[in-house]
Amino acid sequence: MPLSDFIMDSNTPVSVHNYPVSQQLVLELLNHAVWAPNDGLREPWRFIYVDDQSGNTMLGLQESAPAHLIMVMKEDSDHHKRDEDFAAVCCLIQNFQLLAREKKLGVRRTMPEWIYDRERTRPFGVQEKERIVAILDLGAVEQTPTAASAATLPEPKFELL
Amino acid sequence: MSLTALIRERRSIRKFNDVPVSQGLVFELLEQAERLYDHAEKVSLRYIYAGTPDSRNRLVDYMMEPMTASRLGKLIPDKMLGIFKKRFVDIPAHVIVIAETAPDRRRSDQNYADVCSIIQNFQLLGWERRLGMLWDTESIIQNEIFFKRIGIGEGERFVGILHIGYFDKTPKGRARTLAEKKWTVFQG
Repeated sequence: MPLSDFIMDSNTPVSVHNYPVSQQLVLELLNHAVWAPNDGLREPWRFIYVDDQSGNTMLGLQESAPAHLIMVMKEDSDHHKRDEDFAAVCCLIQNFQLLAREKKLGVRRTMPEWIYDRERTRPFGVQEKERIVAILDLGAVEQTPTAASAATLPEPKFELL
Repeated sequence: MSLTALIRERRSIRKFNDVPVSQGLVFELLEQAERLYDHAEKVSLRYIYAGTPDSRNRLVDYMMEPMTASRLGKLIPDKMLGIFKKRFVDIPAHVIVIAETAPDRRRSDQNYADVCSIIQNFQLLGWERRLGMLWDTESIIQNEIFFKRIGIGEGERFVGILHIGYFDKTPKGRARTLAEKKWTVFQG
């Protein structure tokens, strides 16, 4: 199926409790997703997997989901490289979301306030020279009626030089 | 092509052939790229397209201006500048991507992340049509002079230029580190 056919097929993924997420599937998808473009092959990412079937591990931080994937990025001292690295991690996440959609694994990408708070990120093992780019809540995809939103999106803002 | 193959086989392209690229196709793929991205909030971005010989010339002059204006730049032989210029002017199409920023860091990051994800969709959709791209963020062009020339305003940031064209040779991929080696399971 061509990628463009994915568009109207887009579901709003809703994570459901007690749905077992397979670590093996997540790793399999990540091993494809790491083919994201990244400058100088720096591969500035790493992943912290949080099994949260008990619902307690990320209570108060994230909406409940059977598992969370913390997307961590190395923070280069050069701000320009840092921007490139951030972009690379975003490409990886986008790859992962597309692949997950195909496998009916629900992914909710979040960038909540707490990921900027070192006091809160440290307990998960995030180092000083690292930051969290996003938290992916993983679970089952709940089928919803085809999104009408796609049709109402405004046209891209496209000017000529 | 399967999605997995598409993601794994896409390459950044640096050497393009001279087959023309249709502006309509670029626009259509950008539209698809935006639709393919699931987003809760509105993504604020805009594109500037250079696809005619005249606009490509202007774009490359803008890219080179910081280089030629600097004292060091004046030492670069004209012949070398000529080669640099030709290399980029010959590429059939260029899309400048500009994102809005916000006073709030989290919101700015969020919009930048959304824009980067849309660009990745665009690169994949392009690859499906045999369109190659290079997402150019070279530090040499990340310069106030260049930003002013292309009209980046207050509350905006430059995300990159996508150089776009068809190509004859697919570069070899560079192996990636296994995800397992970058994987930790959190033990509460």
